Amino acid sequence: MLTYALRRILGMVPTLLLISVVCFVVIRLQPGSFLDQYLEDPRVTRETVESITRQLGLDQPAYVQYLTWIRGIVTEGDFGFSFVNGRPVSSLIWERLGWTVFLALLTLLVSWAIAIPLGIYTALNRYGPGSTVLNFLGYISLATPDFLVALLLIALVLNFGGTNVGGLFSPQFIDAPWSGAKVLDLLNHLWIPMIAIGLEGVAGLMRQMRASMLDVINQDYVRTARAKGLAPRRVLWRHAVRNAVNPLISLAGLSLPSLISGTIIASIVLNLPTIGPFLYDSLLNKDQYVAMTLLLFSALMLLVGNLLADLALAWADPRIRFE
Amino acid sequence: MLKRVSTLRTTGLLGLVTLALLGTAAAAPKKVTGYASLGVTEGKPGGTYTLALGDSPQSLFYYGVIDNNLGLVSQQLFDGLVEFNYATYKVEPALAESWTVSPDGRTYTFKLRQGVKWSDGQAFDADDVVFTYSQIIMNPEARAGDAASFKLDGKQVEVRKVNATTVQFVLPRPSPAFLLQMRSFIMPKHKLLKFSQEGGAKPADINGAWPSNVKESEVVGTGPFRLSNYTAGQKVSLVKNPNYWKVDARGTKLPYLAGLDFLIIRDPQAQVAQFLAGNIDQLNITGAQFPDLKQREVAGAPFKVFRSTALFGSPPFVAYNFDAKDPALAKVFSDVRFRRAMQGALNRERIIDTVYNGLAGLPGHGVAPVNRDWYANTRSQLGSFNLAAAGQALDALGIRDTNRDGVRNLPGGKNLEFDLTYGTDSSVYPAIATIIQNDFKALGVKVNLRGILSSKLLSTGQSGDWEMILHAFGDQPDPELRKPIWQPGGALYYWHRSLQPAQDGARPNVARMAPWERQIYEIFEDAAVTTSRSQRKALYTRWQLLFAQNLPVTPIAKPENIGAVNNRYGNYIYNLGVIPGYNPVPLIYQK
Repeated sequence: MLTYALRRILGMVPTLLLISVVCFVVIRLQPGSFLDQYLEDPRVTRETVESITRQLGLDQPAYVQYLTWIRGIVTEGDFGFSFVNGRPVSSLIWERLGWTVFLALLTLLVSWAIAIPLGIYTALNRYGPGSTVLNFLGYISLATPDFLVALLLIALVLNFGGTNVGGLFSPQFIDAPWSGAKVLDLLNHLWIPMIAIGLEGVAGLMRQMRASMLDVINQDYVRTARAKGLAPRRVLWRHAVRNAVNPLISLAGLSLPSLISGTIIASIVLNLPTIGPFLYDSLLNKDQYVAMTLLLFSALMLLVGNLLADLALAWADPRIRFE
Repeated sequence: MLKRVSTLRTTGLLGLVTLALLGTAAAAPKKVTGYASLGVTEGKPGGTYTLALGDSPQSLFYYGVIDNNLGLVSQQLFDGLVEFNYATYKVEPALAESWTVSPDGRTYTFKLRQGVKWSDGQAFDADDVVFTYSQIIMNPEARAGDAASFKLDGKQVEVRKVNATTVQFVLPRPSPAFLLQMRSFIMPKHKLLKFSQEGGAKPADINGAWPSNVKESEVVGTGPFRLSNYTAGQKVSLVKNPNYWKVDARGTKLPYLAGLDFLIIRDPQAQVAQFLAGNIDQLNITGAQFPDLKQREVAGAPFKVFRSTALFGSPPFVAYNFDAKDPALAKVFSDVRFRRAMQGALNRERIIDTVYNGLAGLPGHGVAPVNRDWYANTRSQLGSFNLAAAGQALDALGIRDTNRDGVRNLPGGKNLEFDLTYGTDSSVYPAIATIIQNDFKALGVKVNLRGILSSKLLSTGQSGDWEMILHAFGDQPDPELRKPIWQPGGALYYWHRSLQPAQDGARPNVARMAPWERQIYEIFEDAAVTTSRSQRKALYTRWQLLFAQNLPVTPIAKPENIGAVNNRYGNYIYNLGVIPGYNPVPLIYQK
């Protein structure tokens, strides 16, 4: 298993290099330049634009820019600097990573905790009124974009006179030290993004879980287990669910990159301090090293997520072997 | 050299022209009085005021990045030598207590306010002013500096310290709008010396001063507030600067507020939601958002919505590319009779009513109508919306629908069809573009909409890859400040790019100018060095008339300023945004 993991990790290197080239080319192909925003200001002359171009190294050929960037990463772990902020990319990402990871993991956990039981329930009670209602709600939430849900929730809260209409804290708690009141305030704000971002995930996962449950329920081994006289509960959890959950493990692995780019619009609408809007801005501004680093990071997440999913699958399903 | 300077100074002192003086020369703090007409009363100290910021400031060094959000914060942290009067927009003393201009208009001597302290307690003096101008603003490598404004006819403006409280600027030639440049924020030498050439750093290093993760105590200013906390992506908190140099009529220290918070909220709808929820105390809104908020106000919500005619701001216009790639189009677009005919198909009233909800007025030509100092009444030149008359004018030009397909044909036989480039991510451009497209269609002119990001409008304009464009350029109190836009051949005069000189500041291609363009070019050249205010006024009046008749661009509307403010706060004056030298926040108090 260790050699398998090592081999996979080594295999990531050329993949990532290829992805970084693609990212760089795509960003260069975008029309306009970082300096566009400077043109609008009467203080900026053509000489200034030239000197900024020189300062940023944008006057060098594209391949030199790319190679300098890659060399920085490999030799010094330096991911370049942000044109916009004039600071190293890594420190900027680091600043925003905490809340991003927190929110992503929390939504993932919450949506799993809700979706899996619901999926099982709707699969087992296929024609009951309960599952009909749940299925219907599932379709609606699948069809509604997360930012729309966010806007609706904000309107609703406003209507009831609430003040928690965006962000993670009330203004006075943002830079206050941690305390019980601050945690309460966080919880009071957190439920809106949880619902807005999580809802779509819940609906999708629920459908997925329902489908694989229905697949599994009529399999021979489940019938055999039943015929042997095992308790229905034991048949359900020990045999059916354990097998039905396999596809979801791969899904979980694939959802890691959504850490960065999954919830951009909802994050903007809900004013969440996550990385998504940061990526969006860097692409708009052609802040190339920030955009490239984030895209590369996103690709790395996908590869790592896949690896973790494969390892988890092997652990969960004895039929899977490494060779 | 030294001798020449001292004689210059003596003559300057002999012919003293004191432009403005508030209070007595000995009193160090500036008394802010005389705004009863704006509803300003005496406030009481205390309270926190919360504003919205569109995004995280990219740095905390004003001259290192061009960033509107940083500008809004910097306005509260720093001051310039002079500032605007809130009511009249006249220039009046700020960090400089008084100044004199030599009779030849070339030497400006500023006497600094005494007893002013930086927010960390250090004394403010002439060294800070000289440092700010010579090491930062005039440093061509500073990304948001202003080196070009301090180079006249290719020669550098000199700035020197006369004594601890006197600073002198010597210009290579007279420049009557120079005083307005003195609104630039003054920076603390004792904190920034190490990033400057004087302190041994490279010229470009100045841009790296005060990055967004700088220690808050490093950011030191003379402004009403000082930085207390910056949480990336969420909030910038400022607290009252106890050393601030302004007092109210009774002598109470300004600002009244104990704290000023900026919540970072990117989405305009989210900003409105936060305002309605009471988390933001004041918000500048658009005409589109006005009806909803006004309705809530009338229904008893705890805030008021204010409207005011705007002096600053960006009125939209349409321009036709005189150098369009299609020679037939370029020829038509260069023809003033065509542009005038098309003005008749521009339904300004409808745009003002439907796009701006009536919260806009008719535009001026390069100068806002409310600008009493410079505006020339060109209203009759705006014409009126009349498709029949516009059609006749096009007929007279030989642009008729010869093949009966509903679209007029150019003399060569080609359809009169072109692209209109506009910004898709704006609250007004898409609606205006659609109205124009419809009206032009009724006239038999086919317009294809070409949407791009608003931030790319200028670069697209300058690239020449467009036919008709919908864009906006800001009005300023003095036309001299907009010279690169309106002077033919200027750096931003993009609708006739073939006039552009090969290098900024070089003489443009005068031979290619139309006679009226040459006249406007000369007017701007003359006005830049004319010291007599009445002569400048006459020159700029002629320019506005030429502009209105020849329509290098066709202005559409002048939007009003609309702001909403929570009833808990008094002394609200519309905050113009990032206009150095115009900051009414110190007067705001919590009731």
